[in-house]
Amino acid sequence: MTKTATPAKAVLTRKGIQGSLVSVAGIIGRPVKDQDGKDLGKLLDFVVRHGGETYPPVSGLIVRVAGRRAYIDGARIAKLTNDEITLSSAKVNLTEYQRRTGEQLLDGDVLDHQIVDVNGLRVVRTSDLYLAPLDKEIRLVGVDVSFRSFVRRIFPGTFGRKPGVDQVIDWASVASLADDGGVVRTTATREALSKLRPADIADIIEDLEGREQSALIELLDPDLAADALEEMEDDELQGLLRGISDERAAELLSHMEPDESAEVLRDLDDEHSESILAQMAPAMAKQLRRLVEFDETHAGGIMTTHMLIVKESDTVSDALKLLVEHRERDISDGVTVVDSKGKLLDHIQIIELIAAKPSEKLETLVKAPFPTAVGIETSLDDVIEEFSNNRGSSVIVVDEKGKPVGRILADDIIDAMVPAESSGFAQGSGALS
Amino acid sequence: MSNKLDSRKLRLGAFLAVMGPGIIAGLSDDDPAGITTYSQLGAQFGYQLLWTLGVSTIALILFQDLGARIGVVTRQGLVGLVRQKYGARSGMLSALALVLANIGTMTAEFAGIAAAGNLFGVSKYITVPLAGIVVSFLVLRGSFARVEKVFFLLASVFIAYVIAGFMAKPDWSAAAQGLLVPSMPLSRDALFIATATLGTTLAPWGLAFIQSYAVDKRLTKEDLKLLRVDVWTGSLLTGIIGFFVVITCAATLNGSGQTTINDAAQAAVALKPLAGTLAKELFAVGLIGAALLAASILPLSTAYAVTDLTGRPAALDDKVDEAPLFYATFAAITIVAASLVLIPGAPLIRILVLTQILNAILLLPLLIYMFGIARDGRLMGEYKASNRMLGVYAIIIGLIFLCVGTLLWFTFAG
Repeated sequence: MTKTATPAKAVLTRKGIQGSLVSVAGIIGRPVKDQDGKDLGKLLDFVVRHGGETYPPVSGLIVRVAGRRAYIDGARIAKLTNDEITLSSAKVNLTEYQRRTGEQLLDGDVLDHQIVDVNGLRVVRTSDLYLAPLDKEIRLVGVDVSFRSFVRRIFPGTFGRKPGVDQVIDWASVASLADDGGVVRTTATREALSKLRPADIADIIEDLEGREQSALIELLDPDLAADALEEMEDDELQGLLRGISDERAAELLSHMEPDESAEVLRDLDDEHSESILAQMAPAMAKQLRRLVEFDETHAGGIMTTHMLIVKESDTVSDALKLLVEHRERDISDGVTVVDSKGKLLDHIQIIELIAAKPSEKLETLVKAPFPTAVGIETSLDDVIEEFSNNRGSSVIVVDEKGKPVGRILADDIIDAMVPAESSGFAQGSGALS
Repeated sequence: MSNKLDSRKLRLGAFLAVMGPGIIAGLSDDDPAGITTYSQLGAQFGYQLLWTLGVSTIALILFQDLGARIGVVTRQGLVGLVRQKYGARSGMLSALALVLANIGTMTAEFAGIAAAGNLFGVSKYITVPLAGIVVSFLVLRGSFARVEKVFFLLASVFIAYVIAGFMAKPDWSAAAQGLLVPSMPLSRDALFIATATLGTTLAPWGLAFIQSYAVDKRLTKEDLKLLRVDVWTGSLLTGIIGFFVVITCAATLNGSGQTTINDAAQAAVALKPLAGTLAKELFAVGLIGAALLAASILPLSTAYAVTDLTGRPAALDDKVDEAPLFYATFAAITIVAASLVLIPGAPLIRILVLTQILNAILLLPLLIYMFGIARDGRLMGEYKASNRMLGVYAIIIGLIFLCVGTLLWFTFAG
């Protein structure tokens, strides 16, 4: 993974912000005072609420008062420095703090936890967090992921609390995934993530652990998540699906190529795959159930059911329109033409369609070379042989009646030919044998 | 029909694939330090302190099992998790404890190689640097997997103790009594060897290793059952081999009045009932295999655990400038350990046992952090330890405290 753009320093470069940054790691454990300067207690944590804002405001403090974890509303903070917090009044409600949905504790949930540095495309741990007054509230604006700041925190006294401002990166350029109950959904992180390539996201997903991993999946747009999932290792994907809700798993699998989804479902235990299928749209579930049934060593088990089927009576422009509608799929290299009974006639490449007159009927284009067709039960070896004999880019799978039910593309063949690596310890990063 | 067959094959495959880390950790526990400590235990106290090995084995099983669970459930290494839960200082403390303990253990591995070399009449100034270079080269070039089995095979020579144990005709009833009825002479020597036994059996590196392993191999909760079988098997194997080392030494060395072990040749005498005049050679081969096996895994698993501090654990496919901490840790452990053994006149057997005391001391913070993680419902979810289990963990930690504390008291105040 390479570092791409430099971190967005939108807020951090604003006048006045640099000087007013307060280090969260430094101030935790420091005194909280009332307006007369009298000690009320020791600061334990900051509570932030995520309402989709890029820089979440501090909604409250958790303060150790008389042995309790008391909650103090953020609006009562009169002054915040690197050494102490002064409140605007002396009243303290002595009820124990209870976490509410959408709340995040800066020390408890974010500091020292894993986050995704969206610009550097890597998983890091937060060494420090920085607060600053912004738009009339105290907000979380920066994060420090450097090892130096981590080491600095080990030292006692003011040296340990001195913020290393030069190493701060903008809060908007990281994806914080630690949360309880809900998921942090800042628009900035979503946008940043949506610009990454699926393969990069797959790498990040594999670097994350447990809850953070599931949280990232929840955060992603389903199409992008599905693309990323297709890039992942099989057993990694299995583990991931176990960590997220069946509903979300169903959504993601529906967005993946059906043959890939079927492969994933086939490897899950029956109970789990059934409960995921139950959450899908009935038509999709039915299609996947059928695919799952097929043996992986036969044509039916490796084919994709995504294909563009047109009748011979349709026109060239109908076919092109259909192709444009499905331009994002990698199956859109042409259309499969069937007769009035649905039987396979030909596969017409996009280039032939472009060369033909738009008003022309497709039947005029049906001619040799005809595509290679195999039955659902054709063995993998035979499919591979057909491929090498014909040097085509795909073969078409037909049912007993000759109706096309799917296609096998070259990459499906490669997937099927590469022997599945054994699960468990044979894989991994290789750091430990 | 064919589906059924496939699933059975898969399950067996999964089992074979998962069989490994626990047994590796177990056999590596019977490294030169382990064998020497157990030999000393048997030679010096006969069967009397066998129960400390029993307790150590139970502790090993329980904490290795906990480490496996933590690794699988949180998918984080121990050090990273401690930083996350307890903050920067604790994270650093756990990393330092691990590095220090592992420098100690690595020193013991090199001392084992030096001792084995002596048995063949080869100077430690040749064997130790050679071992350091060979092991680093194999691991860093990623070719360790190919020679792993060879080391494993060499290390399994120590299974010879099981046969030697029977052939030495030990006093079985005394052994049973020593194993089941705890008794403790209140002397510094007894406390010393009991603490070393705890430290060598329940080694810090093994705890970090099993957890890193689960994370690195991305084991899931479904793999956990198999992993636990493996961990239990490996831990029991450690205990069983240890048991036979102790009774063999009790029957041969202690029985003939040889109660102290000053060099490897004296320890090797225990294998005489089995190997006769070849006892020395057999012992040396076992030492070399076990030392190389452990020395291959140790720096790597420590470096891996330490980089967990910074976010993503580094791996061998990272370049030096991408993962400076990883390679620095790796180098520091190997170089410091080798240098310590190379000090002229360094007492090898003493080093082997002393480093295990260090292990026992440094175990304490790590076990306490593991205890804290085990009872954290937010981290462990349904795998949170029950109160009864937590009680057992606390008893073991308390026992180690007691051993270390009284030993230090005897040493400095007594």
